[in-house]
Parts: sequence; structure tokens; C-alpha cells
Amino acid sequence: MKKLFQEFLRGIVKENPTFVLVLGLCPTLAVSVSVINGIGMGIAAAFVLLGSNIIISLLRNFIPDRIRIPCFIVVIATFVTITELVMKAYSPALNRALGIYVPLIVVNCIVLGRAEAYAQKQTVMNSLFDGLGMGIGFTWALILISGIREFLGSGKMLGYTMIKGFNPALVLVMPSGALLVIGLLLGFFNILKNKRA
Amino acid sequence: MKDKLIVSVSPHIHKKDSVSKIMWMVIVSLIPAGVAGIFIFGLNALWVIILGIISAVVTEGILQVATKRKVTLLDGSAILTGLLLAYNLPSGVPFWLPIVGSFFAIAIGKQVFGGLGQNIFNPALVGRVFLMASWPKYMTAFIKPQNYDALTSATPLALIKEGKLLENISYLDLFLGRRGGCIGEVCILALLLGALFLFFKGYISWHIPITYVFTTAAVTYIFGRQGLLSGDWLFHVLSGGLILGAFFMATDYVTSPLTRKGQIIFGIGCGLFTAIIRLWGGYPEGVSYAILMMNAATPIIDRYTRNRIYGTK
Amino acid sequence: MNATQFLSIFISAVFIYNVIFSRFLGLCSFVAISKETKPALAMSLSVMFVTTMSSLITWFIYRFLLIPFGLTYLRTISFILVIATFVQLVEMVIRKISPHLYRFFGIYLPLITVNCAVLGVAVLNSDMFFVNNKAVTGSFYYSLFQGICVGLGYALAMLLMSGIRERLDLCRVPEAVKDFPLAFIIAAIMGLSFLGFNGFKF
Repeated sequence: MKKLFQEFLRGIVKENPTFVLVLGLCPTLAVSVSVINGIGMGIAAAFVLLGSNIIISLLRNFIPDRIRIPCFIVVIATFVTITELVMKAYSPALNRALGIYVPLIVVNCIVLGRAEAYAQKQTVMNSLFDGLGMGIGFTWALILISGIREFLGSGKMLGYTMIKGFNPALVLVMPSGALLVIGLLLGFFNILKNKRA
Repeated sequence: MKDKLIVSVSPHIHKKDSVSKIMWMVIVSLIPAGVAGIFIFGLNALWVIILGIISAVVTEGILQVATKRKVTLLDGSAILTGLLLAYNLPSGVPFWLPIVGSFFAIAIGKQVFGGLGQNIFNPALVGRVFLMASWPKYMTAFIKPQNYDALTSATPLALIKEGKLLENISYLDLFLGRRGGCIGEVCILALLLGALFLFFKGYISWHIPITYVFTTAAVTYIFGRQGLLSGDWLFHVLSGGLILGAFFMATDYVTSPLTRKGQIIFGIGCGLFTAIIRLWGGYPEGVSYAILMMNAATPIIDRYTRNRIYGTK
Repeated sequence: MNATQFLSIFISAVFIYNVIFSRFLGLCSFVAISKETKPALAMSLSVMFVTTMSSLITWFIYRFLLIPFGLTYLRTISFILVIATFVQLVEMVIRKISPHLYRFFGIYLPLITVNCAVLGVAVLNSDMFFVNNKAVTGSFYYSLFQGICVGLGYALAMLLMSGIRERLDLCRVPEAVKDFPLAFIIAAIMGLSFLGFNGFKF
């Protein structure tokens, strides 16, 4: 049980998919304009990751090695389609906000990367906890980035204006702002890492 | 400037203080433009300049101390960046704008790359586009020139972008700075005086500025409003930040190509992009974007215009 | 269908909404492979080829298969399968025709399947050039052209970035920002400079 917990924790800090593994940045940067979007994408990706990790792990002894990538993609694409349809039905506003980045979860490096590096080699339980951990790690990274961008770039947090008379730096809600924030955050975490070493 | 035959990161100066001397000479050559700007727009302009410079210097000092690198505040490069950034701002901006802009210019435009000589982009322009993207409202609010009888505060380029005809502005007005605009860009006379000084002292060569201005003039002449070959090229040369950009920012050694051929390509590229943005883009002025784009292309330009080393094929 | 529409597709796909600096598609490969010019060029050429071909193929699939049979919800799955198959085919053909070229491309070829840019442009085309499940006039040509331009935008970003990073290799960059952080900051500045083309109208 302890080992499972370790797997879970790994995805949150030590091997955080965004800040350490630097995977899956496409949706992270595009979507992190507001915290709500960040949470929405995080949950969607986490769901897909969890589902695909479990299924691929279940089928790991049946998938021929040569065509494993296309097989993974089919599994992942199925979960993405489910997510897409559910979102379209129950939260069309979120679906519109996230745009093409929902179908793009299919080629999200995190999902495919975990399938390739982990789920196809590990037991179902391990894969489940790995998926959970990575999903949560991805989500909190999204929340951090979108928190910064939303607050400094639009003066709001979760849609509510925080400080009156604050002149937000609009660049932060633009694509360049996203690249800037991720670059500076990565540098910041590097400094932390070097200090600890 | 003599051809630089060594292929490595510029500037290629033997003594540290030579870099410093060039920086200070450029600062001196920019003083007339600043004085003109203050005369035209009032004391606000002086404050913007002072705040821009102080913020740049303080930022560089703090960052250099924090990263345990040598503190090089006296080499004049931070002061130059702060000055140039201020020259690119309207005089009516809130006090914190040049402070934040200079901070960004030095921190992100320069120090993050490892300091002087290693930055890819012109730091002042990095600061300017950052400010432009973040607070467009403040960056496009110009005030009427004082001491002159101007009808409007809008810049000439902004007016023609909106399709309004220009009345009561003559070429002489543009040349002397009787128009809306950024602090250091409006008085062409003052800028050219400074540029001539730099030419005679050998601190800048003609390749970049002349090709830049010529290309912009040519393109705006060819694609005029009333059909081909009817463009008002003189208006374009004298408006906006073209002279300031071509002579003082595109010529920055660190961010422009090493060889003459490369410099000409650089100048043409800057001129092309400036003209394209002015003629068909959404923004009235394109100098900052054009120069930054060519800054990005400089390493590639350098790579493909390398001088042949003696003895090789 | 007119020339100005093509021009605005070009300007928007290459500069304003550049696939890397603005849409962030293909970032993983971009950051990893833009360290040197030769691999960057190889990757760019392959990506451009695949984005063009997949724009073509997915257009037909969307127009003549998914829409008539009411299967547009299968867009994601069918597009990605098509792309994966196509890349696999290309790999096999190159291997047969020119082993030298195959070795030159190396692992970059299979990497393209998961390049978000490829799936991204296919999805973009079906979003932009189909309205209410009907193709707009010129839809095919616009889609094809957009595929080419997205590839061009990717190539431009790669080329510039690789030149810059090669040059920075000669410098003493602060330890904390080495590699990734600095690459993103450079990309941010480049994105800001491309903003100059905003609102382009011929």
C-alpha cells in the first residue's frame, strides 16, 4: 500500500509532468488563461490519463509490440471522445473555451508518454495510482500557471475582480505571456532544485 | 565599423572600457533628441526619462549582485537601455510604466541571457513591445506638443492608418518634431545631429541605417495610396520611430549581424517589415516589431554570411 | 475564393497565429529539437510534408465520409488514425527508396505522429472551413494551403530558434535558465515580435 502511495506522490512533485518532465505543454499554455479553464482541462486530461492507463495496463499482455503505439492511440482517443461528448453535453461553455485542445489530449505527451513508459509495463493498480498522481500533478501545475496569468493579466481570480484600480498586464493573457510564465516558473523551480542539491 | 573577421559573440573588443566608451558616446549622441523631446512635450518627458534610466540601472545592479556576477553599472549599457526605452514612450504615461518597462527590458531582455553581449534582442525594444502588449491604452495616449500650435495629439502615422487626411502638417513640422509621438522619436533634426556625430567618430556604419531607411522609403513609395509609385516616401521616412530605430536601435552591435553583407540583409529586412506593417498591418507603426524580428534572424544571417577563412574553399 | 483570402491565411498561419508561438502546437518537439540547425531543418521539412498531406487526406475523410454518414463525432479518432497510418507509410517508403534519407531523419519521423501541429491543423481546417457541416466555397484549397502555411510557420520558428540557441551555446548563460526556461522566454519574445502583424489586411 505504501508503494502505491509513493507512485501517487511521484506524479505530484518529483516527476511533475509539467515542471519536471516538461510534457504536455501545448494545452497547458493555451488553456491557462483563467483558473476555471485550467481546472477544467486538468480534470479532463486526468480522466483520460486514468482511463487509458488502466485499460492499457489491463491489455498489456495482449497488445503486440509492433503496433503498440496505434493501439494506445485508439484507447486514448476513445476516452478523449467520451470526454469531448460529455463536455459538449454538460458544459458547452467550457468546451468552447478549451476549443481544439480537448481533442488534442489524444496527442498529449503526458498521456501517451505514461502509456509508453509505465502503463504497458506495470500492474493495473500501479498504473491507476500513477495516472491519479500525474493527473493531479498536471492539474495543480495548471492551477498555478493560470492563477498567475489570470491575476496579473486580467486582475481577476476565478472571474472575480480582486483589487480595484489594478492595471493588469494584458500580455499575460496572451500566448507570449504564457511562454513567459512557464519559462520563468521553470527557471524558478530550477533555482529551488539547485539550492536543494 | 571595420569588418569583424572572428566568428564569435560580439562585441569583439579587447579592452573592457572600449565597450563602455561606445555606450557613453551613444548616450551623448542621444542627448539632443531628449532635450528636444522635453522642449516639445514638457517636463513630464524628463520624468519619464529619469525614471526609465534609474529603473534600468537599479534592476541591473540588483540582478548582477543576486547572481554573483560582476557589477557593470558604469559601462553605460543599462543607462542606454533605460534612455532608449524612455525615448520610445509617450510623455503622458503613468510613472510606473517606465519603471516596469525598464525592469522588464533589463531583466528579461538582457540579464536572463547572461548580460551584455549575449542578448539576442535589443533590450529597449523588448521592454517596449512588452509594454505595448500589456498596457496598449497608455502606450497609445499621446499629448499635444507644447510650445507648438498643433491641432491634434494623435501621431501622423495613426491618423493615416485611420484614413484621415493630414492637414496642416508639413515636412518641416515632421522634421522639427511639431507632432504627436514618443519622446525621443519626434525631432528628426536632433536625432540626425546625434547620428552624424556617431558616423564621424566611426561608432556606427552606414550599412544598416541607410539600407533600412531606403528600403522603407522604396516600399512605401511603390505601394502608395493612389496607386503604384505614388507613395509619400518622405512622409514615411520622417514619421514615427524610423529614424530613431534605424540609427540608434537597429545599429546595436550585439543584436545585429557581423558582416557587411549580413548588415545589408538586416537593414533590408527591417525596412521591409516596417513598411509592410505600416501599410497593411493593424498597428500604425512597425519599427519595434521589425527590428526584433530581424534580431531573431541575426544568428542565422551570421551563419550564412560568414567570411571565408583564408585558405579554405 | 480570392487571393486576399490566401494572403491572410498565409500571414495568420505563419505570423499572427504561428503554430508554435501562438497556438503552442508541437512545442514538445520544438523545444527538444531546436538546439541545432541541421536536425531542426530536417524536422521542419518532415513536419511541413506531413501537415500538408494530412490536411489533404483528412479533408476528404471529413467531407466525404464523416459528414455524409453523420459521424463527425468520430473526427478525433479518425483523424489521428489517418495521420498515424500516413506517417507509418511515409516511413516505410523512405526506408525503401533512400536508406540514407531514412537515417538522416532518424527518430524524427515517427515523432511527427504525436506532433500536436499535425492533428491540430486538421482539426482547425474542419472547424474553419466547414460551416454547419457544409464545406465553404474553396474549402479544399484553403485547407490545403493552411496545411502548407502551418508547416511553414513551424519551419520559420524552428529555423530562427535553432540559430539563436546555437549562438547561445557559445555563451555563459545563467545556470537556472539553461535550456528549457530560456527557450521559452526566447519564444515569448519572438511571439511578441510577430504580434506586429496583428490586424493585417491587404
